[in-house]
Parts: sequence; C-alpha cells; structure tokens
Amino acid sequence: MIPVQYNIRSLMVRKVTTAATAGGIALVVFVFAAALMLGEGINRAFGSSGRQDVAVVLRNGSDSELSSGINNDLVNLLKGQPGVSPDRAGEGGVPAVPGVIGEVVVVVSAEIDDGSGGTTNVLIRGMPAGGMAFRPEAKIVSGRAPAPGSNEVVVGKSITGRFKGISPGQSFDLRRNRPLQVVGVFEANGSAYESEVWGDLDVIRTSLGRSAGVSSVRVRLASNGQFSAFKSAVEADKQLGMKATRESDYFRKQSEQTSGFLVGLGIGVAILFSLAAMIGAAITMNGAVANRSKEIGTLRALGFSRLSILISFVLEAIALALIGGVIGTALVMLLASVEVSVLNFQTFSQVVLSFRPTAAVVVTALVFSGVMGLVGGLFPAIRASRVSPVEAMRA
Amino acid sequence: MTTGSIEAGEAKEAKSEGGAASKAGAAAKEKGDGKGKADAGGPSIVTLRKISRSFQRGRETIQVLDGLDLEVPAGSFEALMGPSGSGKSTLLNIIAGLDRPTTGDAEVAGSNLSRMSDGELAKWRSQNIGFIFQSFNLIPVLTAAQNVELPLLLTHLSSDERKKRVATALRVVGLEDRMEHYPRQLSGGQEQRVAIARAIVNDPKIIVADEPTGDLDRKSADDVLTLMERLNKEFHKTIFMVTHDPAAAERASVQRRLDKGALQ
Ligand SMILES: Nc1ncnc2c1ncn2[C@@H]1O[C@H](COP(=O)(O)OP(=O)(O)OP(=O)(O)O)[C@@H](O)[C@H]1O
Ligand SMILES: [Mg+2]
Repeated sequence: MIPVQYNIRSLMVRKVTTAATAGGIALVVFVFAAALMLGEGINRAFGSSGRQDVAVVLRNGSDSELSSGINNDLVNLLKGQPGVSPDRAGEGGVPAVPGVIGEVVVVVSAEIDDGSGGTTNVLIRGMPAGGMAFRPEAKIVSGRAPAPGSNEVVVGKSITGRFKGISPGQSFDLRRNRPLQVVGVFEANGSAYESEVWGDLDVIRTSLGRSAGVSSVRVRLASNGQFSAFKSAVEADKQLGMKATRESDYFRKQSEQTSGFLVGLGIGVAILFSLAAMIGAAITMNGAVANRSKEIGTLRALGFSRLSILISFVLEAIALALIGGVIGTALVMLLASVEVSVLNFQTFSQVVLSFRPTAAVVVTALVFSGVMGLVGGLFPAIRASRVSPVEAMRA
Repeated sequence: MTTGSIEAGEAKEAKSEGGAASKAGAAAKEKGDGKGKADAGGPSIVTLRKISRSFQRGRETIQVLDGLDLEVPAGSFEALMGPSGSGKSTLLNIIAGLDRPTTGDAEVAGSNLSRMSDGELAKWRSQNIGFIFQSFNLIPVLTAAQNVELPLLLTHLSSDERKKRVATALRVVGLEDRMEHYPRQLSGGQEQRVAIARAIVNDPKIIVADEPTGDLDRKSADDVLTLMERLNKEFHKTIFMVTHDPAAAERASVQRRLDKGALQ
C-alpha cells in the first residue's frame, strides 16, 4: 500500500486548492449538519414529547387540539372507559392526580419582542386543577404556579421573554380586557409544551365565552398496554364521536409536517450544494492527477498496482473531503446555542426549536463528507490508475 | 517472495546477509577481476528476440524498433548510445517491463515478459528491476528514507526490517545522514543518490538507468557513475544504461549503439 502520509502531505502542499475545495465541502456539511441538528431538535420538542401511558382524545375529524371540541358531559363518560386510571387522591404533600382532564387550547396573537413589530401565534392551554400534576415532567423553574381559579398563567421556558407581555411579571390580553398575568416559567423536559402558556381552564373558558366544552381530553391509562383496549372502546362508541391517540404519537404526528418541511428543505439544499462540492472535489483531484502523472508513473514503475493507485487517490479525495467535513461539523456546533422560532403548521402557533448536536449528527455529517470525497474522487482516481508506468520516463 | 529473491541473489554471490554495506570489504578484493568476470559471457539475463515496437500516431505508424535482438550477460554494465529518437528509451522500457514489444519475445531475469499481465509485470518489476531516472523521480512530499522505503512496501517485510534495509541502502550511497531530508532539501546529485538507494533497496537483479547523469553537473555525474560502477562490481548488479554522455558510456563495460531501430 502507498502510505497515506503521501496523500495527506500532497494535500498540504497544495494549500490553496485544498483549502478552497475543503471550504466548499465544509459549507455543504454545515448546511447538512444544521438540518440534521434541527431535526434532532424537532424530535426532542415533539418526538420525545408526550407519554406512552396518556391518551389524547379529540373529536372525530379533528387532527389537532385547536380544531377539536368536546362537550362537558362527554368528558365524564370517558372516566368509565376500560384501561383508564382512576383519580388519585392527594396525600401528604403529594398533589392529587386526576385520571381524566379536559382542556381548552387556543392561540392568541402576540407581538414578537424583537422590535420588528411582527406578530405570531402563541398557544394557550387552560387546564383544570391537577393539570400540572397530570404531567409529572412539568416543573416550575422560576416564579410560582398560578393560583387556582385566577387569571394567572405560567409560560413555557422556550418562549418566555420572546413576546411582548408574555414573561413573568407582565400581562397580556387573551381577549380585549381579559388580561392574563404571567407569574412563572415552567419546563417540561424540552417537549413542545415548553412553547405553550398554561392557565386555569375555567378562567380561560369564561374569557372566551365558551363554557360548554373543552378542546381535548387527556386520559391517564393504567398502563401503556391498556391503550388499545381504551382506544377500541372509545372509538366503537358512536355516541361519543371521538378518537384516541397516544400522546407521544399525537406530538410526533404534529411535528411531522414542520420537521418534514424544515429538515427536508435543509437536506435538499445540502444535497444540491453537495453536487457542486463533489464537482469541485473532482476538479481538484483531476488537477492533482494531471500534475502528478509522472509521480504516479514512478509508483507504477516501482511496482505499485493499478488498484493501489486507485485506492490511494480515492483515500486522498476522502481525506480532502474529511478536512472540509471536520471544519463544517466543528462550525455547526456553534449553532447549538441558537434557537429558532418556527410556525407549527398543525397548530399555527409558534414553536421554539433548538439545533441539537448529537453523536449521530456528527457521525452522519462526517460520513456524508466522506461520501462526497468518494464520489467526487472516484473518476480522477480511476484516471490515475490508468497512468502508464512509461510516464515515469518522460522528462 | 521478494525476500526470497534477495536471499537467493546474495547466496549466489556468496555474500554475508545484512545487505549492501557489509559487502563492501569483501567486494573490494574482487575489484581487480570483477569487470572481467561480469563480461565473460555468463548466462544472459536479458534476451530479446526479434523485438519490434511501433507507435500509432493518428493514421501513421512509427516503427521505432524493428526486429531487434539483444543479449545482456548477467553482471555486465552496458551503455546504450545513439541519436535522439533512435528508440533507446523505448528499448530500455521493454527490458524493464514498463512497455511491451509489438512483436517479439523479451525474456528478462528468467521471465517471459510478453506473456505477463499488467499486474504480473508490476509485481515482477518490484522484484527484479531497480530504476534510475534522468530527473530522479523522487516523491517530493516524502523524505529520503520514505522514498527509499517505497519498494519495500510491496514486500511482507516488517517495519523494523524495512527501516534496517533503508538505512543500509542510504549508507551505500553515502547519505545516511540525510534520511529525514525532503528531496527539495537535497542537491541534484544527492537526489540521484537517494534514487539509487531506492533502486537497490529491494536487491533487484537488474538496474536500468535512462540518462542518469543528464540533469547533473560533471562532478555529481561522476559521483553517480562511480556509485553505479560499485553497484556493478561489488553488488554484481546488471546495469543497463542509456546515455548521451561519452564520459558516462566510458564507465560501462560494454558500449552499444542504437541507430534507426537497430543495434550497431
Ligand atoms: N508513446 C509514444 N507514442 C508515439 N510515439 C512515441 C511514443 N514513445 C516514443 N515514441 C517515438 O518513438 C521514437 C523513439 O523514442 P525514444 O524515446 O525511444 O527515443 P530515444 O532514443 O530515447 O531519444 P532521446 O535520446 O531523445 O531520449 C521517437 O520518434 C518518439 O517520438
Ligand atoms: Mg530517451
């Protein structure tokens, strides 16, 4: 085998072309890895959101809590369905956990607090007493929990401070003259809940003038395995006119459009760019082969096989691409602290996403750059392998 | 396999193992009759029969060699002269297994090259031929030691053993203190000596040299020629050298002339 040092040093000698080609590849890998990191961020916001042992019940024909509506009397009927966990009474500081909760979900238009004057939708969830206890992953991280039956609300960690009036100590109008007072910030394990505002069910319902019903119902199941029994019972009952989804599936489905669009866009752009980067790598390697035909001929004369020349140049192309890959991957890590606010197409409310660097992203990005080198370098390497040993003799 | 050929080569010459440098003393004694021995029609190591080589340039066929016969006895040091374009390099390339004759048989170092595949030829070259080029052909991004080591990477020798042989070969050419130098840090004459170390490190039977002094000043050229003489006399390498330089040809034991595709 021709030592890899030969290829590495050959790359180092051609500083400018190597840097230019690697730079192009770095750019592509940056975009590609950014899309993957966003995908991971979305997965975390939605995919990891939601519990396996909680069912979300919506009116038949609704895909999201926003468009769903369920009558108050029907909420109680759900308590008797198979697989539903009974209410658990609170004792000794442990709060009561209801088995079934009906909630109202609406969006309000909020002004983005960046001086642009733009507005966007924020999702408000009105929950009954025990709504927070129903979600053990939710914790108040600053301020305090809202007083029951008051117009106090808490804001999710990822949107606090982003909108006028929606941060602790401030207030905003749900409807004209119906202010909500922000008293704290909660977090919920990085899930989509963190982009919501939570308040009291009755206060919010009254403010909206729709006391007759809720948007959705959440049901705590006795165990994960009880879901199908519950689902078939609910969906078989035509009188109810409801459908049940596991909470985890519900969030995942919600994220699909958003993530599919964003990640797809990012990866599409990266792949388009990668064509250019591969052509760049091919041109660079082709130049290297042309400039080094005498060197290649010498190696052939010394007895190195065509295959070892081919491998050597493919490795050189891969090394070139990996230089770019490492730079691009290193730079993209800077995005780890960046959060982007995007529209969730399902709820038309704003969701804040972060770029999540994971080991899988790093490995995928590096493999992607290596593949670019392989593809771009293959034809020049084949050309190199065809250089005749007689080239060594040319003056 | 290569190891075998090195050992076989050394055994035949009744040399102690350990390579080139240790042979110096023993070889010095033979110096007086070395030349005579080499020339004395030993078994031929190169046998060319009715070799023709033509090139196609568009519709035109250029007949460079035409029915050429050649025998080179093992151990001789031959110089090939002739006008530019007479086919000297073409002939050397065929002997070295870099190129194939259009027709005719080439038997070199016991193998019939005409019947070998490209891959077999490459392997054969690595075991039987040492190359000295006009413009040295060192790999600029590798150190002297790494350049010399290249042919050994095609063997199964351990890294330690390779290092030892590289050091020995560089000692033979008097550049053991330049191991870590890159070619651009060496003079032309030194570069050519590194190239010679690379040519002998695998202990090949035959060394081919196409204008080895063409890019050198007189002094360096003389050093290189002296070294080549030593390789022939001490290490019993068969040397086939193409040259324009009468002073270089003078050093060889046999001078041949190629003109219009035929040996004179
Ligand atoms: N690959 C090739 N294609 C076409 N013609 C070739 C090729 N190689 C050599 N020739 C021709 O063959 C002839 C002999 O070339 P060769 O290189 O053997 O000459 P030479 O005796 O070594 O000359 P010089 O002393 O200038 O090196 C020249 O006319 C040359 O143009
Ligand atoms: Mg020539």
